[in-house]
Amino acid sequence: MNSYASYQLQDFIPFSADVYFRLLERISETWWPLHLLGLALGAAALLLALKKRDRLVWLLIAPVWAFVAAVFFMQHYAQLNWAGHYVGYAFLAQAILLLLLALAGVSRGKVPAAKMSAVAGSRPAVIMVRLGIAIGFGIALTGLLALPLMAPLSGAGWWQAQVFGLHADPTAITTLGLALMLLWGWRLWLVAFIPMLWLLLSGLTLSVLQATEAWLVFPVLAAALVGIAVLCRYPAKKA
Amino acid sequence: MNNSFTGSNRLTRRHSLKLLAAAMAASLLPAWPGFAAGSGRWQKTIGAGNKTLPVIGMGTWRTFNVGNDARLLAARTELVKAFFELGGGMIDSSPMYGSAPDVMGHALSQLGIAQPGAAQSDMVGSLFAAEKVWSPAGGSAREQIADLQQRWKIPQFDLLQVHNLADWREHLAVLRELKAAGKVGYIGITTSHGRRHSEVEQIMASENIDFVQLTYNISEREAENRLLPLAKEKGIAVIANRPYNGGSLINNLKRRGERLPGWAAECGCTSWAEFLLKFIVSHPAISCAIPATTRLEHLQENMRAGLNPMPSAENRKQMVRFFDAL
Ligand SMILES: NC(=O)c1ccc[n+]([C@@H]2O[C@H](COP(=O)([O-])OP(=O)(O)OC[C@H]3O[C@@H](n4cnc5c(N)ncnc54)[C@H](OP(=O)(O)O)[C@@H]3O)[C@@H](O)[C@H]2O)c1
Repeated sequence: MNSYASYQLQDFIPFSADVYFRLLERISETWWPLHLLGLALGAAALLLALKKRDRLVWLLIAPVWAFVAAVFFMQHYAQLNWAGHYVGYAFLAQAILLLLLALAGVSRGKVPAAKMSAVAGSRPAVIMVRLGIAIGFGIALTGLLALPLMAPLSGAGWWQAQVFGLHADPTAITTLGLALMLLWGWRLWLVAFIPMLWLLLSGLTLSVLQATEAWLVFPVLAAALVGIAVLCRYPAKKA
Repeated sequence: MNNSFTGSNRLTRRHSLKLLAAAMAASLLPAWPGFAAGSGRWQKTIGAGNKTLPVIGMGTWRTFNVGNDARLLAARTELVKAFFELGGGMIDSSPMYGSAPDVMGHALSQLGIAQPGAAQSDMVGSLFAAEKVWSPAGGSAREQIADLQQRWKIPQFDLLQVHNLADWREHLAVLRELKAAGKVGYIGITTSHGRRHSEVEQIMASENIDFVQLTYNISEREAENRLLPLAKEKGIAVIANRPYNGGSLINNLKRRGERLPGWAAECGCTSWAEFLLKFIVSHPAISCAIPATTRLEHLQENMRAGLNPMPSAENRKQMVRFFDAL
């Protein structure tokens, strides 16, 4: 038998669905009412992104990534998955990246002149950029509001609700949305890479565990890819 | 010395004859693939020694990886307790299984089995602790083993295996040294899902190992062709992992409401768990099967498969014909 062909996704998921959901629940129980602060931070970041205050946005969410790295991954998830520490380091790296971005202050407001002139005034370009930003806004809202509501709506109870700033999935989704709203080109790829990689891992895990959340994660990833493609093609400022 | 022999436990002529018969039977044991201990539980002799092992053990992949969740830790402790009460022996884990070794350590210490010098309970003698060395977990083989012993809270393992053949040459060399130093009873290798059987065969033929762990069940019988006959020939004990193909085998049969054939009861199969597990452990080369579970009722069902009677060679052929026709 070809040994590689015989591997299935479930061979790599070392915990069962009930244990994973208990983990989400325990994090919620331990850190309540920090959820409210997380949601407030996320909402503030979204409003600031709408006002193109990019530096403040990254400054607000960089510590959130460090917190999720330490609490979600190192303290809890790593107990169940030996690879959890490595994902924790990746989240920490993302926190540093966001901090550097806040210091450097690069956003769509500073598109190089040559690129701007190439698309300036072109109507389809403006529409496309608006589309990319709208996708980002939709994704950020999904991470902030839709994902937390999934658990209670599917009857799992409020303690299993995943919240921005505490749990990994909503943090990654909201950040992805914000990145689409503020960045373009290779910078967008750079900031989107770790959130997308985690969401891919998480989506695969959730689908093995037959969790309803998987139905949200994969469409978000697909929408993000469309958004990134659009914004890398049309990086114009005046959208 | 307290000489408290009473009439009831003094040797009578009938008892003496029974003992004599038992001693004669025991002298024949190594020639038999398995035998039922006094309780009617089937045991098998390992290798050339006189160590015996109950044929139904327990796996821990996924089922024991519950982290430090107090509620689930208590549930798994109950499971381990029931496992020993029902005559279980081997428990298999790996550094790949997340917190499973810690959870096992928690259960063993709660049950008073773990720490050296702890009050001896009936369960102490029956635990046969099987662990693995697995390269991706990091650190040297010796470091991994020392760490795992601490996590299980036991002074040493009965069996150490090279997980999925990863870096097997170097790991096996270390395990051999540990065995020579008396720091582990037995050593071996593992594979699963029918992977790398030709390499497993080479190792079995050329290396001095006591155990091989592989996937064998009524729907995955590839090992019958070469590996099981070779194990029998070389006196290597065989652990059957994934006895239910990760659960899908038994769950499909149960969900479809498949009924057992009438003749199954003759060889002690009154549930699908017994049918599937007895098929595995009645193979002359198989020492034990290690189903994993999170549920007490499943554990009870599984443990019943270790009781007399066992299917004969003819029954086993019947079982295969019946299963293949489903
Ligand atoms: N390479 C290797 O070294 C390797 C590879 C694979 C496996 N292993 C070892 O072998 C062990 C067994 O393999 P496995 O865990 O993959 O699969 P398995 O034992 O074939 O199946 C486990 C699944 O079967 C279900 N189950 C158990 N008893 C049942 C019953 N009586 N009725 C209905 N469902 C039942 C359990 O669910 P419930 O919790 O609902 O009972 C569990 O999900 C592992 O735990 C591991 O220790 C080693």
